[in-house]
Amino acid sequence: MLTNDEAQQLARKVIGLTTFPECEATIRATEQAYTRFANNGITTASLSVTRELSIAVTRDNRTGVNTVNEFDDDSLRAAMRKAEELATIAPPNPERMPPLGQQQYTATHDFDDLTAKARAPEMIPHVKTIIDAAQKQKLVAAGLIERSHQVTAIANKAGLFGFHEASDSQLTTTVRMGDGSSSGWAGQPSTRIKEIDSAKLADTAIGKCLRWKNPQRLDPGNYTVVLEPTAAGDLVRLITPGFSARNTDEGRSFLSKRGGGTLVGEKLFPEYITLRSDPFDFRQPALPWTGDLLPARAMNWIDKGVVSNLTYDRYWAAKTGKEPTGGGGFRSSVGLTMEGGNETLETLIASVERGILITHFWYIRVVNPQTLQQTGLSRDGVFLIENGKITTPLMNFRFLESPVRLLKNTRKLGPAIRVRGLEGGMMIAPALVATDFPLPSISDAI
Amino acid sequence: MARYMFTRRDFLAAQLAFASQLFAAPKDSKSPSPDLEKLGSAALAEAKKYKASYCDIRIVRLRDQRVGLRLSPERGTGKTLSVPNVSEDSSFGFGVRVIVNGAWGFASSPIVTPQEIARVTGEAVIIAKANASVQPKPLVLAPVKAYRDRWETPHDKDPFAVPIGEKLELLRASAEEVKKNSKVFGSSASLNFRSEDKYFASSEGSSIQQLVLQIYGNLDATAVDRDKGLSRTRTYSPTQASAGWEYVPEMNLGENAQRIREEVLEHLAAPPVTAGKKDLVLMPNHLMLTIHESVAHPTELDRSLGYEANYAGTSYITLATIGKRIASEHCTFIGDRTSPRALGTVGYDDDGVKTSQFTIIDKGIFRNFQTTREQAPMVGDKESHGCSQADSWATVPFQRMPNVWLKAGPAETTLDSLISGIDDGVLIDGRGSYSIDQQRYNFQFGGDAFWEIKGGKKRGMISRVSYQARTPDFWQACDGTAGPSYWRQYGTTGDAKGEPTQINSISHGCSPTRFRGINVILTD
Repeated sequence: MLTNDEAQQLARKVIGLTTFPECEATIRATEQAYTRFANNGITTASLSVTRELSIAVTRDNRTGVNTVNEFDDDSLRAAMRKAEELATIAPPNPERMPPLGQQQYTATHDFDDLTAKARAPEMIPHVKTIIDAAQKQKLVAAGLIERSHQVTAIANKAGLFGFHEASDSQLTTTVRMGDGSSSGWAGQPSTRIKEIDSAKLADTAIGKCLRWKNPQRLDPGNYTVVLEPTAAGDLVRLITPGFSARNTDEGRSFLSKRGGGTLVGEKLFPEYITLRSDPFDFRQPALPWTGDLLPARAMNWIDKGVVSNLTYDRYWAAKTGKEPTGGGGFRSSVGLTMEGGNETLETLIASVERGILITHFWYIRVVNPQTLQQTGLSRDGVFLIENGKITTPLMNFRFLESPVRLLKNTRKLGPAIRVRGLEGGMMIAPALVATDFPLPSISDAI
Repeated sequence: MARYMFTRRDFLAAQLAFASQLFAAPKDSKSPSPDLEKLGSAALAEAKKYKASYCDIRIVRLRDQRVGLRLSPERGTGKTLSVPNVSEDSSFGFGVRVIVNGAWGFASSPIVTPQEIARVTGEAVIIAKANASVQPKPLVLAPVKAYRDRWETPHDKDPFAVPIGEKLELLRASAEEVKKNSKVFGSSASLNFRSEDKYFASSEGSSIQQLVLQIYGNLDATAVDRDKGLSRTRTYSPTQASAGWEYVPEMNLGENAQRIREEVLEHLAAPPVTAGKKDLVLMPNHLMLTIHESVAHPTELDRSLGYEANYAGTSYITLATIGKRIASEHCTFIGDRTSPRALGTVGYDDDGVKTSQFTIIDKGIFRNFQTTREQAPMVGDKESHGCSQADSWATVPFQRMPNVWLKAGPAETTLDSLISGIDDGVLIDGRGSYSIDQQRYNFQFGGDAFWEIKGGKKRGMISRVSYQARTPDFWQACDGTAGPSYWRQYGTTGDAKGEPTQINSISHGCSPTRFRGINVILTD
């Protein structure tokens, strides 16, 4: 993979090819290895290396962007000519901000050499552990173990340069009854592959599958729910678009005040709700810069129930006289974290007189981009809780709820761990208990 | 063999092959480029050395050009600012698949040289050998003919050859047309052009070069009522198509700009729907996504057999469903990778199978799954339905849906005749929110715009509409679809499946169609 010095040399070479006053180069290289399994056997495995160079040149506020993956001298010259041609044709961008000069980026700690190099010898034993455990119970396992090694470098003609190297891995598994009458899921993302505990994951998924057999029908309605950390993360992370200062100012966010203004400074949530981004938390990968190349920093978005900040890109910050937080500065890529509480999943369940335990969600889509109402379905383990105990496996439900109302209705929190939902979003999230969670229909899916 | 080492020197090394020259071919040529064939043979020869029972290589160059324009008011002055976006992406590389000891192995690289191809083929062999240790039974591929051919999307004019200035001017005129009414808050317009040059060679003797061209467009309008705390959008998404530049004027961006300008304001003021059981008339640019989610996905064989259980899910349709009724007699669905201008149309799939048309559901009776060469033997089929696809040179081909379309009804069934048979219903146009469970039973769909139907007539616009249904019940509730003159095909470009997730682009055609007694809900 590309080193810091090689990335600098490549970036300098590219920037040296243009006479345009502004030029920004972004270099990304990724090596990915994975093994998929299903029906108790390996189905696919791959090793791939991808790389790209994105060149953005600007003159008179006219910008052209060209992204290529051929790095020989002829190809680089051709790529620059194309970027310049695009910039010549493009109209001026009235919202463009001048380039940043040299920046000080604080290193994040999300690289692990063993993870970055892992291949079949490191991955297949995990797959065997899960398949062997499933077969012992006459169950059928499917899943994925993957790792990635990613290098990202940014540079511009004004002297800015940044380099970041990260690794990540995850193992997920779904264990099903052979006749399709039950299913259980478990997953663990980790920036360090040696921390992946396949035996524990097998135990969790198999346990869920055995307990969820023959789920019963419970009438749709609003229920108290216990969301396991992955289920909580699946929904909570979807609150992020609502914090855009621009959308809020323009009346298009749940944080817009009717008639004008914003709800910043108002206590919308219980005092134990704190949502922040922390790019320096080693548990999840994060770039040390924001979407518009400002140094990433830890930020609170909801502080003890109070809306404390909105996200300002450089243009909107300049327009409103605010400090920029960075475009796209409030995303999982800069370490989204919801603080947890002192309860365990067991004590959360024990605290519920009648409610529903949900493992995770699937196919979540926004219904109303302003209120952030979402819909999706529970999956791979749903259980009725009665008098603090899990009593009955339940058929899956569709939900219709916004993360805003979910957080408003949250009553208790467990410890926060790193989670990664089926549809890719990652954050650090706690298990939680929430009231009045709308489950308007039942799904026959197992 | 040495373990994989992607050296720094390799990474920065000059390449022998320059993608744009490599794929160039004389017009109407039916033979693949000799240079590509030479590169392909490097993989096949190397795989033979390692006694691989099968090998294929795909050398791929992807290009993507995006041109966009957003018109929105400047904070403080209210003056309309025009914010452009002009960019191009290209990506070039190769991927090699082998079968050794009855198991798959795959590796890929962006460095397209004979030496690198040989080395990466060796890596794929290492992976296959490791996989064979956890492989319950050896893979069997359905037979395929050997082809030597060159195929391309039928087109008159290369969209990449059209000046970007001309594209920007079309977008500017369309977005400004939307903004002509000062009550419209903002508008954006975009055009996206995509090309995929692909060379495929396999140890079965095939050598196939293809060029796929695709065009997507979008135009939208946003309206805001600050006093009520509401914002609404209206979108015109012309048919995404596999075509040349000659298709762009057919998008009628200007004409539709006037329509969505008025409709976004009507949507902003539209009263909410009253929830309950209602009859629905679904327009083709809406129903295409319902077909995609509730018909095309559940008839993928890999889902049904459990191969996608960990992410995309399984299916409510099983082998035992073959020959059973799952929809009303009005519903005949065709799987088709040959439909003109459809996004999933190619000459050959990524197994080297010549593409074709096949019946999935015949008058409501389930007949055929979608298959690849690996899957066809699993259902006793002698040949694949040609549904193997990878979204890049760096990804593994697997079963992806073809274009799936609903056959039009009789010529005498019109949109008006469908509406006139409804006492209390909703007409839904365009894409909205969509969600479906992992076995494709329970779904909820919104739309882009909704009109009330009362007493057999289309009335004013309403808002906050979604419908929820159980797939087999929904398709059994279909009691009519309009005739061939109403049939339209729409594409979707973000179909996700597989782990790691891959994206697929396909089209779904249908006429306006009526469904009885569907559960309509009120959303935010």
